[in-house]
Amino acid sequence: MSETQIRLSGSGGQGLQLAARILVSGLALEGRNISLSQSYEPTSRGGLSRSDLVVGSSTGYPLVSAIDYLVILDQIAVENSLGLIKNDSTVIVDSERVDSPPDGAHTTISLALIQTAREIGNVRAANVVSLGVLAGLSGICSQKSLLQAIRDTVPARFIDLNLEALARGYALVSAEKSKDTQLTAVS
Amino acid sequence: MLDQAKTPFEIRDYIRQQLFPHFMCPGCGHGIALRALLWAIHDLGIAKDDLAIVSGIGCSGRIGAYIDANTFHTTHGRPLAFATGLKLARPDLHVIVITGDGDCLAIGGNHLIHACRRNLDITCLMLNNEIYGMTGGQVSPTTSSDRYTTTTPEGNYEPVFDACKLAQGAGAGFVGREMTLQTPSLKKLIQQGIAHPGFSFLEVISDCTEIYGRKNDLGESAEMVLSQKADFRSASYGMIADEVFQPRNVKTGVLYKDDRPEYAQAYRQKIASRAKK
Amino acid sequence: MSSVQNIQGNHACALAAVAAGCRFYAGYPITPSSEIAERMSVELPAVNGIFVQMEDEIASMGAIIGASMGGAKTMTATSGPGFSLKQENLGYAAATEVPCVIINVMRGGPSTGMPTRPAQGDVMQARWGTHGDHPIIVLTPWSVQEIYQQTLRAFDLSEALRVPVVVLIDEVIGHLVESVDLAKMNTGNPVERKWADSSQEDFQPYAHTEDLVPPMPRPGDGYRTHTTGLTHAENGFPTQDPEVANRVISRLLQKLEHHNDLVECVNQSDCKDAEIVIVAYGITARAAQSAKQQLQGEGVKVGIFRPITLWPFPQQTFSEAIANARLVLVPEMNAGQLIVEIERYRNDSTRIIGLNRYDGEPISPQQIFNKVKEVLQDA
Repeated sequence: MSETQIRLSGSGGQGLQLAARILVSGLALEGRNISLSQSYEPTSRGGLSRSDLVVGSSTGYPLVSAIDYLVILDQIAVENSLGLIKNDSTVIVDSERVDSPPDGAHTTISLALIQTAREIGNVRAANVVSLGVLAGLSGICSQKSLLQAIRDTVPARFIDLNLEALARGYALVSAEKSKDTQLTAVS
Repeated sequence: MLDQAKTPFEIRDYIRQQLFPHFMCPGCGHGIALRALLWAIHDLGIAKDDLAIVSGIGCSGRIGAYIDANTFHTTHGRPLAFATGLKLARPDLHVIVITGDGDCLAIGGNHLIHACRRNLDITCLMLNNEIYGMTGGQVSPTTSSDRYTTTTPEGNYEPVFDACKLAQGAGAGFVGREMTLQTPSLKKLIQQGIAHPGFSFLEVISDCTEIYGRKNDLGESAEMVLSQKADFRSASYGMIADEVFQPRNVKTGVLYKDDRPEYAQAYRQKIASRAKK
Repeated sequence: MSSVQNIQGNHACALAAVAAGCRFYAGYPITPSSEIAERMSVELPAVNGIFVQMEDEIASMGAIIGASMGGAKTMTATSGPGFSLKQENLGYAAATEVPCVIINVMRGGPSTGMPTRPAQGDVMQARWGTHGDHPIIVLTPWSVQEIYQQTLRAFDLSEALRVPVVVLIDEVIGHLVESVDLAKMNTGNPVERKWADSSQEDFQPYAHTEDLVPPMPRPGDGYRTHTTGLTHAENGFPTQDPEVANRVISRLLQKLEHHNDLVECVNQSDCKDAEIVIVAYGITARAAQSAKQQLQGEGVKVGIFRPITLWPFPQQTFSEAIANARLVLVPEMNAGQLIVEIERYRNDSTRIIGLNRYDGEPISPQQIFNKVKEVLQDA
């Protein structure tokens, strides 16, 4: 399997590191080798937060250098990824919190990630909604493994919420795909 | 307890005679403190193989080498840190720290307060001679007011630490002070300190005749030691005016004692309760 | 079932320490190494070990030496400013030959620097940070798996040779999560210290043994020896006799060279035929490895020399590795530290070039690729 580089980014407190842990756990169930590095800043709330995943590294280099899939949940995170986006990258941004997504030849998909989380009762679930979108678009990890990963990773009282958030993420992709045939090719 | 306690104390049984003549100056109070310590160890029946002496740097730090035991001469101000590791790793050893006023209260002050706070079963013997003797006589945190040292040419203007109050405030389970003048009392205090299950801080009022005494014209060693008994420095010597020296009202004996939980015991209890969960 | 787990570098370090037999840890909180202390506070009590958070870095270093003098395998972990504070007692451990392991998860410097950012600025400090001539071993893992392996090895070397061992971990690797199979890496056969068991009569704790590593007396075993940071004769007591001092310090300094077969650990590839050899360690070596694949794809003859044991520097092996190279590139996340050592071993026809970065970002594979192309063009 080829190498895939993924970045989940936003502002501290949006739960991106948990989303990355769920993804890592799901990928582990599928026997994929991963490298996960996370931004590590003195501030833990509000500042830039990012989790980088290199799945099935082809060279052994563990850090992200050219992103295949980029999730941005807050405008604050846009600048940090400029220069790492390729022409064939897919950039998933939250329509509410990201006003000016990165420019370029890459594919940008703007979705109501945070609003979807709000609809299911907890704005903090936007991280897992995004994860559903990412997985739905990229096929990097099966839905079955991610469901299991949520059960393995998330505190018991939040499991149902996150299972629903994941499903809503996948649903956003389906809705988008029915609008745009180009996306079908991506997945 | 070993049978040794039933026999009379003979210092030669506890010292490394091959290192003699020793390095201490004539009249230095540290030798008396050493004798009192070994006497206490004898009477407690502690085997030399089970005794670990950890010392720092300075004149006080050097006396550990003369003890026929497991002796560790560590870095300046750090003997309590080394002793903490040693005692935690080897609870079977009797760990005794020998330190001085500079080693313990200046460069090692942070280690002292935290050793007191932890209350690990270590005995800390601080030999207070009010001076950095080994480096030639600089002012220390316990140098009395207006004393001359090589770094206070006009007399000391810094306030002094009351080491025992400091140790008590920081949480030591046993605090005491004694003079080298009264060796049997000193020996008894050390014995009580070692027997106490927790951190014991013992301040020994020692004297530095050769450097501090001469610089301040305090007389020969006998006079310096006797002045301890008077509880204040004799005012009859030399260039310093009488009124400068106030009676020190130094209290001696056991100053504080409590039964606070000992650190290693508290640690093991916590771990045991965790294992049960 | 597979025993592969996704695990953080700092976490792997703690697990390796326990697997190596570490039963005493003393430390002080400091970014970016604190996860090691946190993990040890969980792991050690479970194996009847002791974890203690000390009042400062100096005390932590003193406490691990004290515990090791008592017979325990010991470790502390720190970063930049804390590593500076440990230097005095680290020198004591080197002089008194007390085994201990010091982890330094490097962060940006100087001073408080950039606490959460990677740097490799402590390379020279790890070798020469404490005063006086002294032996020390410094290891530089490049992955989570290697953090585990080299931490195990740090304990083995420290116990076997009675020398402090420093593991320099890049911040990015300390915090990296990678898929590793720990079960495969743990040999389950850690080296145990050579304890004195000969006659107590006239025992010489610092005897000039054939292997230059005297057996260590354990307190309580009846030897009743003296340990001091003062220059000491074979009997353990201080000396200022020039002849004795020369003899005992010489043994101390020759100890590691004598055991070079144990100490040296180099990973090199394609150096023999390379026109350019990249010398790198830690995360920078992984960037170099990635760049190398790309360069070789373009027909560039490039090799990599990676000293996993950074100190003592593997000078002989290195000289051989660069024998045919025209160029040596030394990428480092500092202003040029290892390059100074490397310049000592160059031959006349070799050009040594640095690639340096100290802005808190790792050197990327692309940067190395570009630099190699640039210098080949110039040469």
